[in-house]
Amino acid sequence: MSRRRRAALIVAALAALAAVTGQIVVTYVPGPPQPLIGTISQSLVGLSFLAAGIAAWLRWPASRLGLLFTIAGYLWLLPNLGHLPYALPFTIGNLVASVYGAALAHLALAWPTGRLRSRFEVGVVAAEYAWTIGQSFVSMFFWNPHTNCGPGCPANLLMIDGSRSAENVLGVISIPVGLALTVTVLALIVRHWQTAQGWTRRAMVPLLWIAPAICALSAVQTVAENTSLRLFAGATAGNILYGYLPLILLAGPALFVASTLLARTARGAVGTAIVDLEPGAPPGQLRDALARALGDSTLQLAFRQPDGPGYADTTGRPVDPARPEPGRIVTPLPGPAGAAPAEAVLVHEEGLEHEPQLIRLTAAAAGLALEHARLQAEVQAQLEQVRASRARIVEAGDEARRRIERDLHDGAQQRLVTLSLALGMARSQVAGSDPGLAALLEGATKEAREAIAELRELARGIHPAVLTETGLAGAVQALVERSPVLTTVGAVPAGRYPAPIEATAYFVVCEALANVAKHAPGATAQVAIRQPAGRIVVEITDDGPGGARPGAGSGLRGLADRVASVGGTLRVESAVGSGTRLQAEIPCP
Amino acid sequence: MAPFPAVLVVDDHDGFRAFARTMLEAAGFTVTEAASGAEAAATARIIRPQLVLLDIQLPDFDGFEVARRLAAGVQRPVIVLTSTREASDYGGLITSSPAAGFLPKDELTGAALHGFLAAGRAERPA
Repeated sequence: MSRRRRAALIVAALAALAAVTGQIVVTYVPGPPQPLIGTISQSLVGLSFLAAGIAAWLRWPASRLGLLFTIAGYLWLLPNLGHLPYALPFTIGNLVASVYGAALAHLALAWPTGRLRSRFEVGVVAAEYAWTIGQSFVSMFFWNPHTNCGPGCPANLLMIDGSRSAENVLGVISIPVGLALTVTVLALIVRHWQTAQGWTRRAMVPLLWIAPAICALSAVQTVAENTSLRLFAGATAGNILYGYLPLILLAGPALFVASTLLARTARGAVGTAIVDLEPGAPPGQLRDALARALGDSTLQLAFRQPDGPGYADTTGRPVDPARPEPGRIVTPLPGPAGAAPAEAVLVHEEGLEHEPQLIRLTAAAAGLALEHARLQAEVQAQLEQVRASRARIVEAGDEARRRIERDLHDGAQQRLVTLSLALGMARSQVAGSDPGLAALLEGATKEAREAIAELRELARGIHPAVLTETGLAGAVQALVERSPVLTTVGAVPAGRYPAPIEATAYFVVCEALANVAKHAPGATAQVAIRQPAGRIVVEITDDGPGGARPGAGSGLRGLADRVASVGGTLRVESAVGSGTRLQAEIPCP
Repeated sequence: MAPFPAVLVVDDHDGFRAFARTMLEAAGFTVTEAASGAEAAATARIIRPQLVLLDIQLPDFDGFEVARRLAAGVQRPVIVLTSTREASDYGGLITSSPAAGFLPKDELTGAALHGFLAAGRAERPA
């Protein structure tokens, strides 16, 4: 348990004790009667300030706000001493009757950091304390309690002269001085709000609503207590002035609740902003989203420059994390482990520092979002590499097949042809003289020719020469002519395309027709190749039984892979009974 | 039929050229050889062949290009394209070329070439 936490618990225990004691005193000790509403508002306001003080102390351990709330609570409860039937506590209780007002002014002017902003404001707060005690002190010289609450009241130890006139004279001074102090405090609060930026400005908003209400209460009480009308003399007026109206002071602890809710809302907003961020959004968008969530339009997200020691924010402005501008705080973002100094920092208005949880969450969320974006870019780059390497592999395979076909053509096929011609010549030379040998040579020629035909078919299957020689249109035409499937060919673009694209489109037609021949014998097919902007669409339809499944055979899957290797897509529509439609869409610059 | 019509055999494959020479000389042709497209064009200018047996696949430029060059010249010989591949492997390229026709290499005979020559003369009387 930290020292602060222990202190807060002790304060809490003391507060509870004070409240219980106060209740006992007010209820059982003989003395001037206390109306019920007075007791309720006394306890409610005092305890709520003490509770807010403890909560604030726990929430902002580094801030003085907890202490200020607690002091205000005690100073509010302290005048209850005046209910004791003894002269000393009675005198002290009455002496400190309105000093809580100074504590409230102190709290409001120190909001939301817990520090007063200038010497002038320290002076204003000191004046408040001095005036609230001094004014009571002086007026008690002339106050005879017996004229108010009768002879049952204890004695005023400070009384010098019970004459009412002297007290009235002081009362006339009290109104302008008290009002002037109140107005000054209110004006300062408004000015704080006007000059505040970012988180501080946001935190000032609830105070802007609360302060005028409390100032108005203070003004009404000042006027009421110090006019000759003595408004608080009547029982009903007293109930209103000291029973109902002080409930307005509950707005003080409400300020703490509001600021807690504000921070909680902002935490939620930061979370939502990160969730709503588009994947792979640039850092500028992240900054904007966080700035909106925190209500700090001055928020900067700065990155370590890759080619230098400095940082620059998302608009390119240089940022020096070691020397931020006055009023601004630098929070490094958690990055990959062991990375020091931080890759990225948040630069924000200093008010946010009083919400360490919020700033920690924001930094963590921003760090995560950036890490996510970095990983995504990495995956994207890897994917791009894999795509390129896949295309290269397919291309290299095509090239190898083209070479094998050519080697077969130039080598074995050539020799077989020559051999076949030689055999033919030999046969014609011996035709007359040696019929036996001629028949033998005839058979050899036939074998050689069959070998040539088989080799041709093999070479064509490895890589169609016609594709290399004439391009897609000629190759598809030749393919259709050789295919056992009765096929009509629509218009085929006559131009030449990059070899991988031509080969892919060709293999789609080839595989589709082979499938028709195999799975739908007797069916007719149609081939259409169109070239809309930026792509080539190859479509083969047949009127067979349908029912082809893309994942079932290795043929269609291999074809889909092949099409994907050039960045295209393959679609198969093959409802049972309505033929098969194979469509490949291939990007083509 | 003119005696000993001049035929230019264009092929980069030595073995084939040798067999073509033997076969065609036996069939009554005067045979000259060229091993590349450039050599074919140069030789054709000198010997003015009546028929050119032209392999489609040549080391420098392909048979279609050689055919275009020969056809653009003055003599305009009958050009017969040939290949170990089939005609269908060249799509429409053969019909769109100025060649008179295509003969698969393994079907080469003197009679086939005489046939092309006769058809060429009938089409284009001297």
